Amino acid sequence: MLNVGVIIKLEPDFSEGNVSYNSDGTLNRAETKNILGPHSAIACNAAFYCKVKYGARISIGTMGPPIAESALKQAQVLTDAEELNLYSDRLFAGADTLATAEVLKNGVEKMFGADKMDIVFSGHRASDGETGQTGPQTAWKLGYTFLGNVMDFDIDLDRKVIVAKRLISLQGMDTIIEEIECPLPVFITIDPSYKSAFSTVSQRLGANKYSKQGRKKSENYAQFLKTYDSQKLDLDPKLVGLPGSPTIVYRVERIPRAKTNRKTAIIDPSNPDNLTPVVTKIIEIARGK
Amino acid sequence: MKMSNSINQEIGTRRDEKYRHIYVVIEHFEGQVVPVSLEMLGEARRLMDDFNQKYQLREKVVAVLLGSDVRKLCDELVTYGADAVIYANHDELKYPRNDIDTRVIVQIAMDAKITKEIEPEYAGTFVKPRYMFFAADNIGRHLSSTVLADLESGLASDINKLVISDLDIRHEHKTKGQTVRYEKILEMYRPDFSGFLWTTILCLDNKNPEIQREYHPQGCSIIPGAFKPIDKDDSRDGTVVEYSPKIDQEPKIKIIKRSVIEKTIDYETCKIVVSMGRGIKDNPEQNIKLIEEFAELLGAEIGITLPLSKKPYQVSQSMDSKYMSPDRVIGTSGSKISPTLYVAIGLSGAVQHIAGMKESEIVISINIDENSPIVDESDIFIKGRMEDVIPKLVEKIKDQMQAISVRST
Repeated sequence: MLNVGVIIKLEPDFSEGNVSYNSDGTLNRAETKNILGPHSAIACNAAFYCKVKYGARISIGTMGPPIAESALKQAQVLTDAEELNLYSDRLFAGADTLATAEVLKNGVEKMFGADKMDIVFSGHRASDGETGQTGPQTAWKLGYTFLGNVMDFDIDLDRKVIVAKRLISLQGMDTIIEEIECPLPVFITIDPSYKSAFSTVSQRLGANKYSKQGRKKSENYAQFLKTYDSQKLDLDPKLVGLPGSPTIVYRVERIPRAKTNRKTAIIDPSNPDNLTPVVTKIIEIARGK
Repeated sequence: MKMSNSINQEIGTRRDEKYRHIYVVIEHFEGQVVPVSLEMLGEARRLMDDFNQKYQLREKVVAVLLGSDVRKLCDELVTYGADAVIYANHDELKYPRNDIDTRVIVQIAMDAKITKEIEPEYAGTFVKPRYMFFAADNIGRHLSSTVLADLESGLASDINKLVISDLDIRHEHKTKGQTVRYEKILEMYRPDFSGFLWTTILCLDNKNPEIQREYHPQGCSIIPGAFKPIDKDDSRDGTVVEYSPKIDQEPKIKIIKRSVIEKTIDYETCKIVVSMGRGIKDNPEQNIKLIEEFAELLGAEIGITLPLSKKPYQVSQSMDSKYMSPDRVIGTSGSKISPTLYVAIGLSGAVQHIAGMKESEIVISINIDENSPIVDESDIFIKGRMEDVIPKLVEKIKDQMQAISVRST
């Protein structure tokens, strides 16, 4: 039985109909709903795969205000998690990635009554923050080997080793798929291309069973929920929130429009004849002239 | 009163500064330096030249290079702006691996002795680099995170503008509400996910006596393509120093196999690229079909904006897997392209997107909003709904093509 952790995040829902933008193109946070982030959901799928394929108990953790409970509940639906952990304290507010990682490290260390973890998953990056730094920083503080951009993995339970495929794509270079092997425990950020495939009948049956169970559990998710403040997490207040953050946001401004040398011809298409020269140009290019 | 004194003592340029130089972590692949590394060196060079002039100092641009056979790359880094290259050759460093690379880079960053060969005057008091640059890509993003976590300092990701300045800061925690002058601060500009806002991030020491703490290096990861390398200058001189890494524990990650995957879409060879953005929203499925037909007619490849890659629309599975994928994103988080013709449909032109297509020869955009930034970046702007415009274009193209083929027979 593996001990699997998942770090998730409540994020603005960028899907159409739920997201709201201000007239200047920026996100209207007040009007936009929050959901379990899409990358967090992929991390949940990977944890669920462990449960079905290898047998695992799953503990979910998130740092955020009490409202982040809703993300934990959604994650339980996806994973049939045994444990939900909310790390919530006013002292955590304003944390940058380093101060966030400090909280998450202590959080992971307390999962399953401070039992040893085998794998911790997190999303590739958050949709609203997009730094992609929190996962690797948490891993480093925990002393777990960090594996990023994992697209696929398999675990050798006897040897306690993971074999994983990672995606490496660098500017202007060929994309590489790297197959690596590493002893547990590992901290994994899951690549957006990850898809859990249940290949055998028994896996599919298992997936069905745990899915149902997960939905059922989530109806009473509060039973599984543990809330931790900085004291319960044994955190030094100087290392969390604003005091523990090396970085600050100094200024937010609109990005000025890039200088351009193009002279724009504006075409009114209500008279189709106006489009004729455009079409001539397009065809010229398409035919390679 | 007492407190403000203790804060004021920190002010002023001192000869015994503990933090010196810009360290740039270089990436290479199959014997080639990855372009972003040269772009970072270029920006570091420009910043350091201004910095040294302004503060009357001799701080350096230091390239840090790990690999198994990388001595041969060092001279190139000097010609692209490095004052010094610290390289480490070791079989275990052949391919990038986060665990061992982090440990070796931290060793190098903390090694005062090696800085003697770079600038002896500053070596005596050297503790850590002043600034540190990484690439914001699959390797550098994670490496910057773990290195800065180990060095316990601050990191800003995905930066596309940098300025070094002295700033008067008043901050509840950093300065306990007092105005304090910070010198030689790296202003790190980061475009947000929408592409319309720029956030400036600073990494600042805590000068509040209650939580006093120094945060150096000031670290960032830099968007590939954001900066220009300097012109290669073969006459530049630089110090090349070999570092012997202390590899006391076997790396946990073992690489079994590396395989190159062929790109599914090769935008580099496309003459025409047709891209779509959030403007497809009124009827995504129908609009994608329109765009598909239009692109097929022209023999064009289809691109998307970053928001579309996050699958904000419900469309059928086959369409979803075909188009709403990250490898089709045009912009800083995807491909930078320069086709003969770029057709931008229903996209507003966030700065990240513009960065990916501005080198196109001819740009035609179709949008209902004549105030969107894409208009400035277009040679031809067709003001209208894509649902109306594309069918008209398709019809006219078919007519004209037919006319041409009739003429030529």
